[in-house]
Amino acid sequence: MIEQKRQVEKIREAFNQEFGRFNNLNTQNLSLSEAETLQKELGEIRIKHTGKKSEISGLNKFIGQVAPEERAEFGKLIQSLSSEVSRAIEKAELALKTFIENIKIEREKLDVTLPGNRPRVGHLHPITLLRQKIEDIFVSLGYAIEDDREIETDYYNFDALNIPEGHPARESQDTFYATHGFALRSQTSTVQIRAMERRGVPIRIIAPGRVFRRDTPDLTHTPMFHQIEGLCVDKGITMAHLKGTVAEWLRRLFGKETRIRLRPSYFPFTEPSAEFDFSCFKCGGTGEFEHERCRPCKGSGWIELGGSGMVHPNVLRACNVDPQVYSGFAFGFGLERMCALMYSLDDIRLMFENDVRFLEQFR
Amino acid sequence: MIISYNWLKDLVEVNLSPQELANELTKVGLAVEGVHQANDDFVFDIDLTSNRSDCLSHLGVAREIRAITNYELLITNHKDQKPKTEDQNVVTIQDADLCHRFTARIIRNVRIAPSPDWLKKRLEAIGERTINNVADISNYVMHELGQPMHAFDFNKLAENRIVIRRARNGETIKTLDEARRKLNDTMLAICDAEKPVAVAGVMGGFDSGITEETTNVLLEVAYFKRENIRQTSRKLNLTTEASYRFERGVDIENLIRASNRATELICELANGEAGEFVDVYPTKFVPNKIQSKDIQFAVKRLTGLDVEKNEILRILNALGIQSKSETIYLSPSWRHDLAIEEDLVEEVARIYGYDKIAEELPPSVNAGEYQPNEMRKLHLRQTLANLGFDEAINYSFIDTHSDEKFELIPDFVHENLDEKFISLKDSIIEGATRMRPSLLSGLLDAVRTNFNHRRRDIKLFELGKVFSASDKENDLPEEKELFALVVTGSETLQNKAMPLREYDFYDAKGALESAANALNIPALEFKTKDVKHLRKGQSAAVLFNGKQIGAIGRLTDEITSAYKFKQPVFVAEINLQVLLEAKEQEVLYKPLPVFPSIVRDVSLLANRSVNFADIKQAIEAENFELLRKVGFVDVYEGEGMMNNERSITIRLEYRSNERTLLEEEVEKIHARILQNIESKLDVKQRL
Repeated sequence: MIEQKRQVEKIREAFNQEFGRFNNLNTQNLSLSEAETLQKELGEIRIKHTGKKSEISGLNKFIGQVAPEERAEFGKLIQSLSSEVSRAIEKAELALKTFIENIKIEREKLDVTLPGNRPRVGHLHPITLLRQKIEDIFVSLGYAIEDDREIETDYYNFDALNIPEGHPARESQDTFYATHGFALRSQTSTVQIRAMERRGVPIRIIAPGRVFRRDTPDLTHTPMFHQIEGLCVDKGITMAHLKGTVAEWLRRLFGKETRIRLRPSYFPFTEPSAEFDFSCFKCGGTGEFEHERCRPCKGSGWIELGGSGMVHPNVLRACNVDPQVYSGFAFGFGLERMCALMYSLDDIRLMFENDVRFLEQFR
Repeated sequence: MIISYNWLKDLVEVNLSPQELANELTKVGLAVEGVHQANDDFVFDIDLTSNRSDCLSHLGVAREIRAITNYELLITNHKDQKPKTEDQNVVTIQDADLCHRFTARIIRNVRIAPSPDWLKKRLEAIGERTINNVADISNYVMHELGQPMHAFDFNKLAENRIVIRRARNGETIKTLDEARRKLNDTMLAICDAEKPVAVAGVMGGFDSGITEETTNVLLEVAYFKRENIRQTSRKLNLTTEASYRFERGVDIENLIRASNRATELICELANGEAGEFVDVYPTKFVPNKIQSKDIQFAVKRLTGLDVEKNEILRILNALGIQSKSETIYLSPSWRHDLAIEEDLVEEVARIYGYDKIAEELPPSVNAGEYQPNEMRKLHLRQTLANLGFDEAINYSFIDTHSDEKFELIPDFVHENLDEKFISLKDSIIEGATRMRPSLLSGLLDAVRTNFNHRRRDIKLFELGKVFSASDKENDLPEEKELFALVVTGSETLQNKAMPLREYDFYDAKGALESAANALNIPALEFKTKDVKHLRKGQSAAVLFNGKQIGAIGRLTDEITSAYKFKQPVFVAEINLQVLLEAKEQEVLYKPLPVFPSIVRDVSLLANRSVNFADIKQAIEAENFELLRKVGFVDVYEGEGMMNNERSITIRLEYRSNERTLLEEEVEKIHARILQNIESKLDVKQRL
């Protein structure tokens, strides 16, 4: 068996020689390509030294030449060489594989803070957004949305609204006139008349739309802006209904803590008339926000929003509605002003410049 | 208007602090915008509504305080200044329709000097300039009692008399502000025997005014027709404290009190001696008779307030409104805004307190409703926004320069008219006098604004009305709602600087197609067409149901260079109204295919005059069996192509509903299709 043992030793030596550099392989200073080359070579060594056709397998044929009582020992010898070789190769393989994997992971590591792939979406105009919110509220309160012409006759812009010829409001320099004497509507109240003519009474409408006044553009004025006009005519409508309605929609928009107040005022198309204010949405009516004078309400706690009142009997009569039988309220306010308040916008001219840097701020 | 707290206390008992008083006044409709300390006084800045001319004085505000607090006014009885002259020649009213009452007081031996300190202080507290004792007194009495007045140098009046008449056309007057003004016969003038010495109710004349040498004064205290003063003030473009009050209405019954008050002060402070007094009063005051069958019911009906009858009467009485009988109320001479029962209701409600009005929702009668197309328009807007378009809103008026630039949507402008468009009589924004007939000019202005801010990649859309003249005389102008968009620059991702690719015609077209899709209507068609503002070969008519509704394409170089744009800009504008009038398409489920389809892509070498649509239609016209779809893959036009050629790859999809198709049977049909189009069109399969 000495001869056979020498054979075993010879094979071990041959393996050790070939495998030598993989013993206690130090991967630290390897490059990826070096590691991959080593991995490939190691694969070749594995093929050569393990498997059925390897020299180690070949040793099995010597078992017959060994004395029977020594066969078991010789078998163990082959076995231990075989597992020694396999273990050494596996260990080296694992070391290389782990090393290569780690390098690859490192190389393919993502910067997860880079922006995601996201198509740029556009933005609806703030006026559209606010108008939509308010329309939704009124539709849920049983109102119909109406709009009509932007260029009007004096009849709809003035006469029917109880602003007869010679009335100061009519002579004021506010109204744009076009060729043929038509007026650009200076308030959406014109829609009150047209809607009552169309629908008759009882009626509950709001009319959002563009209106025009001869104001030179400045921080708080533009010659064109948007108004929402509300009208409710029925039997038994009172100012309490006006107050309740204004309070309701403002609460839905600004929260249920919102309070409103009416102040006596004057408009030709309402009698009695009132301006309506609501408690500031920012400071809650205290006039102070974070220990400073509240900006939207200028420290008063109240925001003045629009005009309102009970529809003037002359307006009802102009629409063939009997003011003895029916009564109604109307109110109106400007959307640009409201937007400016809500978004702390200090220059409403931006509303019509269509600067994308402005538009993309609204959602 | 500025009101002094101390001055008010001379006229009515006040036991409220300045801030309390400000709150109370605001509550009844005299909006106090600010309370400021002025030495030992406080002043209120009151924003008055245009109907309340009666409150343009301390007396007027005092009357409101009386109604609020129920304290009586502190009436000082001014000495009734005698004698009244019999000589009516001093004042002649020729045009009594414009001058309802005129009083004149002659005060002799006046010494013109600066006013005493107390008077100066009063006037300065309310922001008034002081001049001399006589001028200051007339100003003082105006702010106290609300009645404007004018002092003439009596010696400078020709024949020492006053004639009130319409000015003659061509007459001129140098007014106190030293401007020479041309008068005409619509204006009322205060004249002496020869010439105008004042523009009635507006401003006195320079030559007849008070100077340091003046010794005899004629003090005019009058009432003029409101509308006429307003017109004169407008025509002369001259608004004064006097005209402001006269055109809104002063108290015709208060003239003598005001005159006496001023005379008393002139005698006291300027050493004058009261002389003759003339009062010509051709148009006597008649109070408005206001009918109210049941004022308590009316208050309840309009405001929901339950107010005791006694309280109603107290409020009305405190405001000077007398109840003549159970159903008739008389308006006081200082109120020009009370005519109907509703006016009385407001008076009661505002004094009783709008804050006492309850909050109730009206009983509901109908379900709410949006405008017929509102939801579709919202969907359209939302779709465009999702595609990366920002919504623009532009002014409805544009510069007339833009008029001829753009081809307008068809069937909108009446070409036979001399004035096809609507113009404003004057503009507020320089040059912007045209009511826009197209949305494009506004959108391109917006593009320029954004370019100026170094924003190069822009997609904008707008929904809005355009205007043109009607072809029927006296008819209101045409108003149509359009939809327009503009695309320029490159597609980018949010927060990533590197552009993906440049926008082209097909981005604008795709957006338009998406818009139609959002409205759920049949697809739009596009036909090659030359359009004035669009580059030849890159423009198309947009058709709906066979009719042109607008155009799409790349702006001409001429227009882009006029706007100083340095990159291609694509625009589209269509008549939205036509699309909204179309009925929404019904949605019907189609069974999903059970058997797989076979797809063949084929590249065709085509003459450039052959459009994709020509190929598609040619194939579809034959109704080949098993052919389900003719699709587009790609166009190649570059190296290896003749100038008049391009390669167009299409995709043909074959499918049976009964079985899985065999390659061979598809091959046969496919070959027939190719043969067919090669024979019909100038195309050849590219192998």
